[in-house]
Amino acid sequence: MLECDHFPFLEVNIWQTLLTWQHGWMDGLKSSSAPDFKVKVTAASPNMPGNTKNKMTALSSSFYALGVKQGILFWGTAKVTHMDDIDAMFSDLLGEMDLLTQSLEQETASAPSSAPSSAPSSAPSSAPSPAPLPPPWAPSDGERGADRSVNSAELNASLNELEDTDLDALMADLVADLNATEEKLTAQMGGLNAPELPPPAPSSSSGGDSPVSSHSPALPAPPPQSSKPSMEEIEAHIKADKIKVALEKLKEAKVKKLVVKVRVSDGSSKTLMVDERQSVGDVLDNLFEKTHCDCNVDWSLSETNPELQLERTFEDHENLVEPLLAWTRDSENQIHFQESPDKYEVFKNPQKFYLWKKSKKALDDVKDKDKEILIKENFCGTSVMVPDLEGVLHLKEDGKKSWKPRLFQLRASGIYYVPKGKTKSSRDLVCFVQFDNVNVYYGKDFRAKHKAPGDFCFVLKHPQIQKDSQYVKYLCCDDARTMSLWVTGIRVAKYGATLYENFKRAQTKVPHASAWAECIRNQSESRVANGHAPEAPSSFSSSSQEHNLPPAPPPPPLDQALPPPPPPLGQALPPPPPPLGQALPPPPPPLGEDLPPPPPPLSGALPPPPPPLGGALPLPPPPPPLGGALPLPPPPPPPPLSGAVAIPPAPAPPPLPPPTSKFGVPKPPPLLPTKSKPKPVPRQRCSNLPVGAEYLPAPPPPLPSGDDSPPNFLPPPPPGPHLGSGPPPPPVAKTLRPAPSFKSTGLPPPPPAGPGVLPPPPPPPPLPAPTAATIPRRATAGPRGSLKKAPPPPKRTTPSLHGGGGGEGGDFMSELMRAMQKKRDHVN
Amino acid sequence: MAAWDLSITVEDLGPDAPPVSLSVMSDLHVGGVILKLVENTPIKRDWSDHALWWEQKQRWLLRTSWTLEKHGIHADARLIFMVQHKALKVGLPNGLTVRLGACFSNPVFQTVMGICTLLNIRHPEELSLLQPVEEKKKKKEKSSTEEILDLTVVPLSTASRTTLSNGIPAHFGGSPELEGIYKALSVPQTSPTPEAIAKQYRPASVVDKAHIHGRWLDSSRCLMQQGIQENDKLWLRFKYFAFHDIEPKYDAVRLTQLYEQARWAILLEDIDCTEEEMMLFGALQYHISKVSQSEPETAKSAAAMDDLESALQCLEVKMESEGGSASDMLNNMTAPELHDYLKIFRPKRLTLKGYKQYWFKFQDTSISYFKSKEESNGEPIQQINLKGCEVAPDVNMAAQKFLIRLLIPVPEGMNEVYLRCENEEQYARWMAACRLASKGTSLADSSFQSEIRGIRSFLAMQNTSSSSHGNAAAASDENINTYSLVSPRYQKKYKTKQLTPRILDAYQNVAQLSLVDAVSRFLQIWQALPDFGLSYVVVRFKGSRKDEVLGIAPNRLIRIDLGVGDVVKTWRYNNMKQWNVNWDIRQVAIEFEGNINVAFSCVTADCKIVHEFIGGYIFMSTRSRHKSDQLDEELFHKLTGGHEAL
Repeated sequence: MLECDHFPFLEVNIWQTLLTWQHGWMDGLKSSSAPDFKVKVTAASPNMPGNTKNKMTALSSSFYALGVKQGILFWGTAKVTHMDDIDAMFSDLLGEMDLLTQSLEQETASAPSSAPSSAPSSAPSSAPSPAPLPPPWAPSDGERGADRSVNSAELNASLNELEDTDLDALMADLVADLNATEEKLTAQMGGLNAPELPPPAPSSSSGGDSPVSSHSPALPAPPPQSSKPSMEEIEAHIKADKIKVALEKLKEAKVKKLVVKVRVSDGSSKTLMVDERQSVGDVLDNLFEKTHCDCNVDWSLSETNPELQLERTFEDHENLVEPLLAWTRDSENQIHFQESPDKYEVFKNPQKFYLWKKSKKALDDVKDKDKEILIKENFCGTSVMVPDLEGVLHLKEDGKKSWKPRLFQLRASGIYYVPKGKTKSSRDLVCFVQFDNVNVYYGKDFRAKHKAPGDFCFVLKHPQIQKDSQYVKYLCCDDARTMSLWVTGIRVAKYGATLYENFKRAQTKVPHASAWAECIRNQSESRVANGHAPEAPSSFSSSSQEHNLPPAPPPPPLDQALPPPPPPLGQALPPPPPPLGQALPPPPPPLGEDLPPPPPPLSGALPPPPPPLGGALPLPPPPPPLGGALPLPPPPPPPPLSGAVAIPPAPAPPPLPPPTSKFGVPKPPPLLPTKSKPKPVPRQRCSNLPVGAEYLPAPPPPLPSGDDSPPNFLPPPPPGPHLGSGPPPPPVAKTLRPAPSFKSTGLPPPPPAGPGVLPPPPPPPPLPAPTAATIPRRATAGPRGSLKKAPPPPKRTTPSLHGGGGGEGGDFMSELMRAMQKKRDHVN
Repeated sequence: MAAWDLSITVEDLGPDAPPVSLSVMSDLHVGGVILKLVENTPIKRDWSDHALWWEQKQRWLLRTSWTLEKHGIHADARLIFMVQHKALKVGLPNGLTVRLGACFSNPVFQTVMGICTLLNIRHPEELSLLQPVEEKKKKKEKSSTEEILDLTVVPLSTASRTTLSNGIPAHFGGSPELEGIYKALSVPQTSPTPEAIAKQYRPASVVDKAHIHGRWLDSSRCLMQQGIQENDKLWLRFKYFAFHDIEPKYDAVRLTQLYEQARWAILLEDIDCTEEEMMLFGALQYHISKVSQSEPETAKSAAAMDDLESALQCLEVKMESEGGSASDMLNNMTAPELHDYLKIFRPKRLTLKGYKQYWFKFQDTSISYFKSKEESNGEPIQQINLKGCEVAPDVNMAAQKFLIRLLIPVPEGMNEVYLRCENEEQYARWMAACRLASKGTSLADSSFQSEIRGIRSFLAMQNTSSSSHGNAAAASDENINTYSLVSPRYQKKYKTKQLTPRILDAYQNVAQLSLVDAVSRFLQIWQALPDFGLSYVVVRFKGSRKDEVLGIAPNRLIRIDLGVGDVVKTWRYNNMKQWNVNWDIRQVAIEFEGNINVAFSCVTADCKIVHEFIGGYIFMSTRSRHKSDQLDEELFHKLTGGHEAL
């Protein structure tokens, strides 16, 4: 019931957030051209307040369908959305391309004279084109890296969390993920549009090399001129590249995601998001980090089907989403995270399966060397050998209640039985089942349910069959050992060498993971006293639920980032605050302040947005913030930079409150110009930071350098928000923490605190990349006027970076969480 | 020391020439004898490959520095002076016979090494020679002039591992004929006719199989010692079923011959398999022979890239022509579709309606259908996702029935749906789509076209085989009789009409494999058979009064009850402490850990053969990947040589 109570809330919150957010996004994308979204309310939980429902329907522009199963949020329709958008985008793109080609033709035909003028720009144009592309890609790569780090961060964070917290975190994940997707899309859009921008591109490229300021003037002009310079080949190339990217994104957008509730063997449960591409092994990795178990090879995910009274352990290489999609809507199936000794017993004690005819005593005495030989013989040859099982099993007759004994034989090609009156020779065997389309399940308590002759039953059925039918094969063994022999034998026959590879992979996790767990344990012990202490210190008075928010504050992230080093934590915590102050004189204070008064800050924050990152945090309207967040980034920077250039951008802060509306405005024309502007920003960064890829590492150095150095990083500020929103979808998706942790890392303090252990920095790297890519686009989203001014932003980047970039992302999240919590409170 | 006369027959002088008589002393060494002999012979030629063979003792006098006395040669000895390398006809696993120069003076183990080097087969230790089974003497063998590939022109010394640019070993590169022979060795043969299969000797029982294993030559002794004469025929076969380090790149001949040996083992029921397995083997054979006949296509590698390229091109073309909406293009790029009017029937529903026609659309991995083409933009009547479903053909060319039977899993069980197509063409496309979809791949997959081709060719096969019932004339070479893909047992059990769809059924799972993959797959399934790798010998255990069968496998020995066929006992080599052969009473004694002692005498084979098998398998298990190129010949002889090695 616990879940039942929780989910409705969750749902509501998600709904509202998502819907609003979608709004903003849609507008921003100016995808209004393809507004055929459908609202599907696939699941109506009994507890769902009626008004929420209404709200949901009212928001008819949303295309998210949320299916709530017990324990599963169905995320499938997301792809639809993206598809639509992409369609729209594509048509835009194509239209633009057409224009472009036309203009090109005209130009080439009409104006050879223009050639000289275009010549200079043409060279840069080739350069720019690649530049825009990398961003979209880079984020994705970075994301992956970020993923990891995020997870590790999560680890700590989730340590003390209760389920509620977990849910919150999940929510955050969700939102983050959405943001990420959005970011990506925008990024993609940028990439797509880029072709149209041939002119801007060149200019931007030049901007990259030269000071931004010079760059800015060029921007406005670019559109018309750009077309001239292009050389057809380059054009074609660019086009091709863009399209490739677009296709890739299309695929990406199709990815299905599920929110899964996993029951842990200790009675608790974890909720996590699983995407289509993740294998069970990946999910296990996640869970290891979340639960701090000992990571031994027995840990596994299994699915139970109460209706059929079945249980099956997923194999590590299997895709998790697929079987879950087979569940019916009203399914009571569950996912369990538990130790299953049977899972890899065949590799731990191969003699039990391959020499099963021997006496038990003989089997116990088998030496390790002989076990190795057995494994080598059976799994490492050109062909995997299946244990030669043979014996009488009871088979439930199709559609009847009676069970009949038959002599079965297991072969690599399937299970056979010996028909009555025939010999056991291969040629007389009758095929009972082949394994291509069936899975093997343990049956529970079939004696009562099916009048089975014994307690040890297993079942073979197609994974999609969820209810009793003649296509489900029930078999009953005499004892547990026989059952384990058969089930394992069938798995070996079905999966072959893959099983062994899974085992080897699982084994590699153990030592490393156990060391990890060790650290965690120590750490958790040290923390025991004050539980959330690390996170709370920052002045968090809220309940466990608010823990999610804590991530926003710099200090907590640190802890997370440095899970391994328990001692460092203590040290790290204190330092973070000071460093912040030092590094970002202005930003740090704001952060701290913002955090304490999370709820109020929203409103308050808005006014002061520009100076402190806090402005971004204010997310009072959680959903909108996303949209708003983008603009925000710029605002923060302005203050530090010093009014000069930055100030103009300042307008950004105001946009925040009414983010959605703003989006609408920018949509149409702004895109091009905005993009051009954004580009320069990333570039600059690159130039500033010699090591493009190593952005992350960079952050730490800034610390030493002092306040001045940070400016270089400034570009990140925009990223900061993005982080939360989307370019690095994976990281975000994982948890709120990532963002915070990133911040923390970015902040001088954290790195120093636990430098050695802090490999976590890896996460940060991804961030920069994505940000770079996304930032530009985002910027475009903002008001046009500001766009033009945008050129300056690069400069401000440095100052704002620390406070703004990192802080914003985190703050945004926390704001979101707060908002959600508020709602929850209301509901309650 | 007195001189005495030694008479030596010089083979090169002709069979009727009298022996040459030399006056020698006992302390003359063999080299001196040969020198004298050559000087006294009228022929001038290169004698370097010649040596003396002592006929009574069945021994070569290869140690030329030993004196006659040391060799124990006296005046009564009749020696023959002849070449060590002679022509030998070698029957290969694929049924071809090769005539080549083989060494008659070295142990068979080395002879095999030489042959394998010549044929370009790596790991010769896994092969050996055996006496062929006498062909059924029908004496009317008019066509017994079997084709022999002559490789004697290739001097053994030139055989090398180096290969020419076209992948052919250098020593095969001399002439088009040689290249042709190499191709015959390295490419799987086309399927034999059912008659050819029926003509081959088929072991009917374990005892028959045991008799075959009694024919292995002794690898520690030379061919001459085992009564093999020039131009005799021997079979070259894989003897030890522990195939080390198979690398398709270098092992073209080895893989092919291994495949052929496996194929024949299955066709001749030398190894038992189930019906399902037989059908799969049949499908693989069909596929392999089809693929190996078509010219090697090398350009298939970048299929995915091609897709993208073509998609891009299509996009650009469209852009230039400004035609079509963007979404159309997207669809074209990402998801090709099929649509057509088909008839559907759901046998489960209790309706008498029968087949009903709808407008069908195949997109991605699912089928949707609409009342008519005009309504295809609206909501479909139903949409069926085929992922994970079972697809079965139900085709009768004569009756023009083209049915696709779908078994679609749903939570409640499986739904049966039949789709009826109008003609072959339509059927091939929809069937291919259904098959791909059942495996989760969409029409966009590059395998779609090849899937269609496969279905068509199989339809053609059924066409000819069913029509040949009426008039046995029209069987073009391209079409394979399905009878040639299965063992005689199944030829008798099923009519072609029944057999073809079953093989077709199995074929759908393998149709995408490349030649090498298909061959490997065949070998894998073969190796996964429970009886794989067993060589049988009829033995009598000490203390037992009846004959039993000893099965020798790569990792174990099994004792089989001759009457019932049940495995009575299994001993694994890694539990073996030692094994001994008492050469006087011809008994093998083995000691396993835990004080288990087994002793038996061999009935159908010499105990040397059993000894060699056991030692050989132990030798095989000592090979490691690292020193795979270095064959430890000495160890092999130590393990397999028996008393002669001492």
